[in-house]
Order: sequence, then C-alpha cells, then structure tokens
Amino acid sequence: MAKVLIPTPLRQFTAKQDAVTAPGGTVGEVLKALTTEYPDLRKQIFTEEGKLRSFVNVYLNDEDIRYLSKDATAAKDADTISLVPSIAGGSVAAPPETAELTKDEILRYSRHLIIPEVGMEGQQKLKAAKVLLVGAGGLGAPLGLYLAAAGIGKIGIVDFDVVDFTNLQRQVIHSTNDVGRKKLDSAAEKMQGINPHLKIVKHETALSSENALEIFKDYDLIVDGTDNFPTRYLVNDACVLLGKPNVYGSIFRFEGQSTVFAYEGGPCYRCLYPEPPPPGLVPSCAEGGVLGILPGTIGLIQATETVKLILGIGEPLVGRLLLYDALGMRFRELKLRKNPECPVCGEHRTITKLIDYHQFCGVPSPSAAAPAEETKVNEGEIEVTEVKAMLDRGDNFVLIDVREPHEYKICNIPAAKLIPLGEVPRRLHELDKNADIVIHCKSGMRSAKACGILKQAGFQHVRNMKGGILAWSDKVDPSVPKY
Amino acid sequence: MIRIEAEPWAEMVAHARKTYPNECCGAMLGSADDGTKLVRVAMPLENAFSGAQAARYELRPEDLLAADKAARERKMDLIGIYHSHPDCDAYFSTTDLKNSCPWYSFVVLSIQKGEFHHANSWLPNFEQTEAAKEELIY
Repeated sequence: MAKVLIPTPLRQFTAKQDAVTAPGGTVGEVLKALTTEYPDLRKQIFTEEGKLRSFVNVYLNDEDIRYLSKDATAAKDADTISLVPSIAGGSVAAPPETAELTKDEILRYSRHLIIPEVGMEGQQKLKAAKVLLVGAGGLGAPLGLYLAAAGIGKIGIVDFDVVDFTNLQRQVIHSTNDVGRKKLDSAAEKMQGINPHLKIVKHETALSSENALEIFKDYDLIVDGTDNFPTRYLVNDACVLLGKPNVYGSIFRFEGQSTVFAYEGGPCYRCLYPEPPPPGLVPSCAEGGVLGILPGTIGLIQATETVKLILGIGEPLVGRLLLYDALGMRFRELKLRKNPECPVCGEHRTITKLIDYHQFCGVPSPSAAAPAEETKVNEGEIEVTEVKAMLDRGDNFVLIDVREPHEYKICNIPAAKLIPLGEVPRRLHELDKNADIVIHCKSGMRSAKACGILKQAGFQHVRNMKGGILAWSDKVDPSVPKY
Repeated sequence: MIRIEAEPWAEMVAHARKTYPNECCGAMLGSADDGTKLVRVAMPLENAFSGAQAARYELRPEDLLAADKAARERKMDLIGIYHSHPDCDAYFSTTDLKNSCPWYSFVVLSIQKGEFHHANSWLPNFEQTEAAKEELIY
C-alpha cells in the first residue's frame, strides 16, 4: 500500500484527503487502484486512452518514474508517490507560433509569397510547421529535399539505416560518396544545405511501439515513407491515437499509391486494410524491385499533400486513394470510406494503445530473427565454400538456381541449373529423387522454400546453399556482381 | 477569486523586478476554501529554461515537488504558480497555455521597463486551449 500525495486542487475528488493509500506492486497498479476508487480523479490524470496526461509527471519519492521503470516501477509500502505537473511558459508564444520571416527568408520564399493562396501568412504557417518523416529512403529522399526547400520550420527524420550502393538508383538525397554513412547524416546535410533556416531533428532509432508516441507527439503531421507492413500499421495506429494526419505513400515496381489517413474524421489505413497480407505475399522493394523514379513521383505527391495540409488550401487527398501506374502513365482514384467498425478509429474501437506489430503482421521482429540466421549453419543448409569444394572435386550432385531468368542474367554460377521457384512443382520430374541436390537463390529465402517443396515430394538429399549467390560473391568468387 | 497577502505580493514583485529583463517564476502557497484562494507565502523558484530567458520560463518538477512538500510542512497548500512578462502585458500566451496545467492559478506579472505595471491571474482549461481570467486581489 503505497501512499499517493494528492495535489490541492484534486482533493475535491478524494473526499478532501491530501494523501491516499492504494494497493499495488507497481506505480502503474497503484495509480490504477487509486483512480478506480476515486473515478473522478481519473480524468485529471489520464487521457481517455489511459495514458498519463501530457502535463503530469509521476514521482516515486524523489525520482521521476520516467527515469526508473515507468509504470512498472516497484512501489513498496513505505514509498510515496507524487503527481507533479510540468509547467513552463513565456511572454511570447514559442518560436514556431510566431514564425516571423526575416529579410533573407522573404527573398528566399519570394515565389511562394507572391501566390495569393500562400502569401506571408501561408509561409509563416510553413515555418511554424513540424513535420516528421518516417524513413530517409526512396520516399523520404524527395520529401526531405522539397520540404526543406519549401520552408518547413522543423523536420524530424526517423531512420537507423546506412547508405548502400543499391539505394543510389532512387534515393536522390544520398550521393555516391555517402555510401556507408548514416542516412540521417547524409539526408540532414543535403537538407541543411538547401535551407539553413530549417531545424532538423534526427531520430536514430527503429520506430517501435515503445517510442512511436513519444517521437510523434512533437510533430503536426507524420509522413510515412516506410516499406514494410509492421511499421505501416504502427505509424497508422500512432497517428490515430494522437489525432495527427498520416500522409501515406507506397511503391512497387511501376506502381504507387498515396492518400492522407487519420485526418479529421477521415479513414485510416486499417479502414482500408483491416488485416495485413500474409507474410511473404507482397514483396518489398528489395525483393521485387522498383523503378528508381517512382518514389520521386509518389514522394512528391506526399510532399504536396503535406504542404497543402499545413497551408489549409485546396482539396486534401482524404477519403481518396490515388493510384499511379507509371507504365500506362495513368492516375486513378478509389473512394475510401471510414469503416465504422474499424478497430482503431471506429466507434467501438478495440485498439486503444500500440500493439506488437511484428506479431500482428506475422513476421519475426528484427531483433529476434537476425542472430540465429547469421552465425550457424542449420540442418539442411550448406556453406558456399563447401559447395565450391564439391564442384572442384567433381562430386556427383545437382546445383539448382531457383531465381528468375532476369536475375540469372545479372549473375550466375555456371554449373547451376535454372528452375525458377514458381516452376519447381511442375518440373520435379526433371530431377532424380535420390540425387544429391543443392539449391540456391539470391540470399537463401526462396531456395529454402524450394527445399521444402522437394522434401515434401520425397527427395532424400536436398540442401539449401546458405546466403545464396550473395554469399558466393562474398566468400567464393568476388567477380560475381551483387545486386 | 484569488487574494494575495501583502507580504508574498511584495516578494513576488521584488523577484520579478530583480530578474528583469528575464522572466521569473515561483510557487504560491496558502489555502483554498469555497472558491476563494488565499496566498500567504510566495516561494521564488529558479527559471530552468535552457535558452534565452527574456521571454521564456520553465519550472523543474523537482522544485515544484519541493514547493508542495514545503506547503504541507507549513500546513498550507500549493495553490498557484507565478511568473513575469518583462516589457509585455500580463496576458496568458500560447506558450503559457501549452505548458500549463488546469490544477493551479497562474498569476502573470507585467514588468515594464523594470517596474511592476499590472498583473492577472489565469485558469487554464484541461485541453490547454484557453485560459479564463480569475479575479485577482493584491
């Protein structure tokens, strides 16, 4: 039973007591018990979503629980819990709210200022705006460059990746010299170069259920430039919970989509896609490829919507999903409706806090999956060096490449027989069930699936070449190009 | 209504003048009964804002915790927060509002050219979107 000190103005809700004891082993449990016993107190301390109100700090004795274990901080009988508001202020509004333009800025934004719909007022709104870019990759590149140039006052970027050679075909914010650098640093440098007035905040982290609300809360709107489903649902839910618009874009090969979710009564991503696709069904850009120019088009649609929302002009892309087909060079529009039964934004919402999005999407969380794959050779796997030794010795075995023909043209191991994964089931008759078979692909995923198909069909000696042709290039033949 | 006794009032004004041209801040202790608040002790606190303090202030939660403790020890209550607006009206700015809390009275002292000019007390709402003016007697 820890003691909770009640601030004066709240004592009207605790029968005038200045301190109340409540049961519970942690601070979170004590506060819950307290607000269950005194329900009127609940609204003072917690939001409807059950989060502590932004101005409330909780102290256990002399320490802020944020720096202990937060809600899970252990509370003992002798402990005292205090509710302390965070208070600040000032005679002028904080800089973003005033956002006066300097002489330099007036010159810089001249072509905006002479548009009546933008003008001084609009440019000041842009300067006061705080925009968060989730990802500094394909979509983040044009977004970062143009939003910086347009005069957005503060841009936050969430990214923890480094620039890779395969990024350069589309991520125009990064240069060849930047390969190996943090994308955050590379992007920030370009953006600051375009506009020294811009304030950039770098969030070097993987967005997660633990940090998303904390990061998002300081921004007016969130621009989703991610390429995977767990993060997409995470961004959506966090935006809905915080009431911030989610400027969405996605790309694949020659096609892209864009819309604004979670905007004042509009639909959210879950209204459109209540459930994620089965894992592996929709390939990422790394798996399926993407026309390098495509993220430019889609990213700039997102940038346009961002600027329109800030200025409050035009017709926002709300309730409409814009589809872009680069090959047909056509735009189409689908009407989106808010789903009244949506689990996160509907009337009977069941999701009131962030969940485990990797589990929701049926994909392993990055922290859990990586190490096992890297270090040891699992059963049914074979190292590339061992395959090379078998070839050199002239061992009697069959090497099968299950990639696509256009990939085979990029690079191949000459001894390998090409049977694209999709053709494997109907070409099994070409193979001997008792033969020693090794299968490879680009990195080992598709070949693992092929191994499964063969074993199912009664093949006795099937092994997966670990790491695929990429590992072959690394460990056996560096002249084989990587892609 | 909030009434500030002469002694704490003098201390608040002196604090605001001494801190000019920067903002000062502090806590007000006293009692609150039936809608009437009485301030009996002013407790100057440090302005912890990390940038230029001419137009900004920030209270450390620890200091507020100490103020609350001090109030309890004296059998009083923490009933309000005060701060100054150097060369500016005693209005409740957006910054004040966004960083306020609906539990307390917020007294703002306008200090013009180093001298006390006027003061107002404000009661912010829950959503931190507006503040109502509270009758202030000093």
